[in-house]
Amino acid sequence: MKDLIAYIAKALVDKPEEVVVTEIEGAQTAVIELKVAKDDLGKVIGKQGRTARAMRTILGAASTKIKKRSVLEIIE
Amino acid sequence: METFEFQGKNTEDAIENACRKLNLTRDDIEIEVIEPGSAGIFGLVGGRKARIRVIVSAKEPQPLEKFGPGTVEEIEEDKYAESEQMVEPIFEDKIGANIESPEDKNGLIVAKDALEKILNLIPVEGASVTASQMDGIISLYIEGDKSGLLIGRKGRTLDALQFVVNKIVNKTLEKRTHVVIDSESYRQRRKEFLTQMALQMGSKAKKIKKPVVTNLLYPHDRRIVHLALKDDNELSTKSRGEGLFKKVIIIPKG
Repeated sequence: MKDLIAYIAKALVDKPEEVVVTEIEGAQTAVIELKVAKDDLGKVIGKQGRTARAMRTILGAASTKIKKRSVLEIIE
Repeated sequence: METFEFQGKNTEDAIENACRKLNLTRDDIEIEVIEPGSAGIFGLVGGRKARIRVIVSAKEPQPLEKFGPGTVEEIEEDKYAESEQMVEPIFEDKIGANIESPEDKNGLIVAKDALEKILNLIPVEGASVTASQMDGIISLYIEGDKSGLLIGRKGRTLDALQFVVNKIVNKTLEKRTHVVIDSESYRQRRKEFLTQMALQMGSKAKKIKKPVVTNLLYPHDRRIVHLALKDDNELSTKSRGEGLFKKVIIIPKG
């Protein structure tokens, strides 16, 4: 789950080395925190949040597979 | 001679299912309706699925994917050599055949690679990606996602995947390239459905002589509606609304 977001984020940004993804596991919900370089923030959010939404949708599909809920948080 | 049974929402749907599963066109099969099926009250209560029996006369199966002119002959040649793995080699051939420049080839590989990596990380087991390119558009076809997980509700997941892969490809490439991702012919089915809906709404608009409005649609879906009615001189179409989702108004002229 963490690797999935890390891969997508790294492919989208200019500074992949600054991408940090942490996963906080809960009983039912996992929170995935994505941290990128300041200049890359717009790239992972996208116009009208489209990229962020797309990532959340894909994450949602991946979570369905393991019957869990995941939330993606983009940290400033 | 072989017989199969198929189900669907209605007989049309069942026939379509049958054609897709058997990789045959409608002309190649004989259809016998076992049960016509009914939608029930409000499509909720008492709905029954339509069942049909399909009789296949001994004929060579046709390949499932059609990627435009030029592929047919390649398919014919491959069919006899390796009928089991028919689809794969054709796509390989397509990759070789349709390269316009080294950059295009690169884009194809980048797109396929990106999608495969994402699928592996989800993880989707047993899914394979085949890629082809035509007129600058890269088509990726996902095979083996039986559950519809990758399509999602109303194709949302498929659209999200497509959006992300588009971003990745266009970041790597200089030239703008469009990537289309499909799974289980969802896009084809959606297109047929929307075209049908557009035509029905068009005739309704003509009958009642008042504009008819669709529900909120994606840009890609709106395009299909506009295109379906563009040749009808008695109707005009317009998009209405703000943001990503808009409605299409079908207006009768005069």
